[in-house]
Amino acid sequence: MAAERRAGTSLKKRITYAVLTILLIWSLFPVYWMVVTSLKSNRAIYNDPGLFPLAPVVTHYRVTLFETHFLTFMRNSFLVAATTTAASIVIGSLAAYAITRLHFVGRRWVARSIIFVYLVPPALLFIPLFAVVHTLGLADTVYSLMLTYLTFTVPFCTWLLIGYFKTIPAEIAEAALVDGCGPVGTLWRIIAPLALPAMAVVALFSYTLSWNEFLYAMVFVGSDSQKTITVGLAGLIMGDVFMWGQLMAASVMGSMPAVLIYAVSQRWVVGGLAVGGVKG
Amino acid sequence: MGISGKAGRPAVENVSQVRLRPHILGKDGPLAYLFLSPVLLILIGLIAYPFFSAIYLSLQDKMVGAPGTFVGLQNYLSLLRDEIFRKTVVNTAIYTVLGVVLKAILGMIIALVINEAIRARNLMRALCFLPWAFPTLIVALNWKWIYDGTQAGLLNMLLYESGLISNYVRWLSDVNLALFSVIAAMVWQGTPFYAMMFLAGMQAIPKELYEAAEVDGASIIQRFFKVTLPSLTNVIIITMLLSTIWTANNLEFVYILTGGGPNYATHIFPTLSYEIAIASRRLGLGATVPLMFLPILVVIILVLTRRMLDEE
Repeated sequence: MAAERRAGTSLKKRITYAVLTILLIWSLFPVYWMVVTSLKSNRAIYNDPGLFPLAPVVTHYRVTLFETHFLTFMRNSFLVAATTTAASIVIGSLAAYAITRLHFVGRRWVARSIIFVYLVPPALLFIPLFAVVHTLGLADTVYSLMLTYLTFTVPFCTWLLIGYFKTIPAEIAEAALVDGCGPVGTLWRIIAPLALPAMAVVALFSYTLSWNEFLYAMVFVGSDSQKTITVGLAGLIMGDVFMWGQLMAASVMGSMPAVLIYAVSQRWVVGGLAVGGVKG
Repeated sequence: MGISGKAGRPAVENVSQVRLRPHILGKDGPLAYLFLSPVLLILIGLIAYPFFSAIYLSLQDKMVGAPGTFVGLQNYLSLLRDEIFRKTVVNTAIYTVLGVVLKAILGMIIALVINEAIRARNLMRALCFLPWAFPTLIVALNWKWIYDGTQAGLLNMLLYESGLISNYVRWLSDVNLALFSVIAAMVWQGTPFYAMMFLAGMQAIPKELYEAAEVDGASIIQRFFKVTLPSLTNVIIITMLLSTIWTANNLEFVYILTGGGPNYATHIFPTLSYEIAIASRRLGLGATVPLMFLPILVVIILVLTRRMLDEE
């Protein structure tokens, strides 16, 4: 019986590792291919295809960095993502505090509509939002993106923060209020520090979502000086000649900010997701 | 501090009104709504208003920069009669259903493997979830290159070198293949989200359940179907419903990989909507396309909202 079970366990182990190997190849090979292509000369890419860069060159990186708008795109993406993230954390914290700690009529209704709008997809809103952006005089500027990205980051941040704020014992906040902290002081000095890990997760997600956004950026922005990295890259491919080496070099560098943040914080990602459920 | 003081203390001149306000909105009403005002502004100004103006747009024949004329349900009717729109409905259904099912199955396999006591588990988890971290647009670009129809394309190169094909396959321009090629790329990036959700769910299942099942002599497969799967039901439903909304509404893969072609074989409703509204500048008709799917979307959102609130 015991021997039989041990044999079963070792078979199970072998299957597990075999499946894991396949999964790793599936997940990593496309990424590897992107990096390899970015390191090949144009001649090597088409004339001697192979899985390894036999004579690696950094030409594509140099050209991308210094002879295209790449750095402008990156700067715009960074500005938009950072602004959106900061604004959503402040707005989301205020709202989550009100919903979890204050007594007011319409509380359930507000909480419900926040989840509801979190699920309304951008594909439904981009045409009328285009008109809104025009009316506000923000067409073709990064500001249009800073504003409209709030439509998906704020409901999401609020929803996630509500979950975390609930876990902070009510007595702590009440004691602060009795001590004369006032609601703003309580939120700023008591709740926010306690919810710092949660805010980090929320910031990570908002930043990533904003960095990766494409549809609004493509519709609302047209000038090279205002484009974010995703639209900038899409613009490169719309010509007839695809410069794959350069495109892949730009892709590698354009993914870096999102991938590095993921590498640092992925330990918290699973827990964070379990609370809210974030964009896939 | 100042704010709450003002709200709680009756002003001398207008006692009845000030007493009434906190009463109507609840004890902390004014303060709460002050805190909520930015969120409500976004909800109303940037989501609710655009949503209703999309419906209003769909009832008009409106071009960019020109005043619209009211046409009633004309846009809806002309879409229903339109060959391309009908094709788009079928494509969207295949794309979404097949994509969601494949992601769920693959995601479950990843979660099961990661949940085992494997070596370097945290590293393996990080690597398996890596596709999720890449910007969707860049993933789409990368796959367009992998699918390249010459010997330079990775997929053609591998299959040709190993003798599995004798002619290079046109993954993205073959009418019968294109939609499935796009789905494979989308599944590659979307699977980690499922794996994360399932893994989080698995880690919440009490160990005793498995021990009890083992004592009862349940095999690994029985344990999966009798313990793991039932415990994950709610997580699975929430994940698949969330993903259904996002998958159906995401345009990057189709836009970059095929642009809706060949011969409209891969158009899904967000790309069709974009093409009509932005490329052809027919805002009214373009806004109508996603609204055709509104009934399904509303049902999914209502079910999800209920389940996500229950989760708490």
